[in-house]
Amino acid sequence: MKRPFSRRIDFKELDDRDLVALAKEDKAAFGELYERYLPKIYSYVYYRTGNVHDAEDLTAKVFFRALSHISDYVEKGVPFQAWLYRIAHNLVANWHRDQSRRKIIALDEYVVHSLKSEAPDRLAEELEERHQLLEAVRRLPEDRQQLLLLKFVERMSNGEIGVIMGRTEGAIKSLYHRTLLALRDEMGVIQKGELKRRLGGVEG
Amino acid sequence: MSRSADIHTGNLLDAITARLQNGDAADPLLAQAEDLPDDVEEFVNIIQSLHTSLTPLNPGQEYADSLRADLLAGQPGVVRRVRQMPARVHVAAIMALFAGCVLFMLRRLFGSETAQDVAEEAVATPL
Repeated sequence: MKRPFSRRIDFKELDDRDLVALAKEDKAAFGELYERYLPKIYSYVYYRTGNVHDAEDLTAKVFFRALSHISDYVEKGVPFQAWLYRIAHNLVANWHRDQSRRKIIALDEYVVHSLKSEAPDRLAEELEERHQLLEAVRRLPEDRQQLLLLKFVERMSNGEIGVIMGRTEGAIKSLYHRTLLALRDEMGVIQKGELKRRLGGVEG
Repeated sequence: MSRSADIHTGNLLDAITARLQNGDAADPLLAQAEDLPDDVEEFVNIIQSLHTSLTPLNPGQEYADSLRADLLAGQPGVVRRVRQMPARVHVAAIMALFAGCVLFMLRRLFGSETAQDVAEEAVATPL
């Protein structure tokens, strides 16, 4: 006999909390969580690693780890999204530890793609500026990089960032200010180095 | 910089960021603000650059579909598992494959000759 309330659940209508509860038993519910967070996690990992190959591998690891631990997950002040970002953050940190060298963020391909429609004479200049900015971001300590990515790529509020990073909203605001100061200094160093390199090239 | 000035600048930069992210200009906010720090313009430029450079990205559709299929199947596919192995495992696998090929070629070259010799020997030797 058919159960009176058995009907197909539209996962898209459910919020994260309900989906997580269902995902403990039903992989299709996890599939909906995956759809919701794949672009966010992928973007985050991509900017932290700087290349597509590692971004894809680490993103896959994040979701496999989340899937294997979702039955243990209990929302105690840490929403699913924040939990997922913490997994991503830890895996990226391990990845950086495993890499003996620190890679330059290879975003040129993406930047060129995004600038295709712009005037060609502006292209080189803009490309150079963005390259310098991203290099300066890469030189910042891990927590500051994380803050910038969550703020600009994920468009999160200070409160949301605070939950992920385990800090208060005020602490995030203060960290943001210090991050901008540090970023300005780093950009100054990079620009000076670039100028020196060009002058050296002219003299040589 | 005093602590209160520091907090004031921090709040101002945060508000400027929010405005730029909403697609609004920072100028009205700067016009209203009191005690503007000298270097505020510089920070506005940096925030603007961050806003235009750090944008969301999407993974390829093929990758997204294959990862979804692997997740729902409950385990990574063969290709993903191989990709996730450490580089030293890849090197060892390539070396093992190469050694296997060499061994196979040697066996074909010398093994067949030996078999032919055995056959000829069998014919030549009367029972």
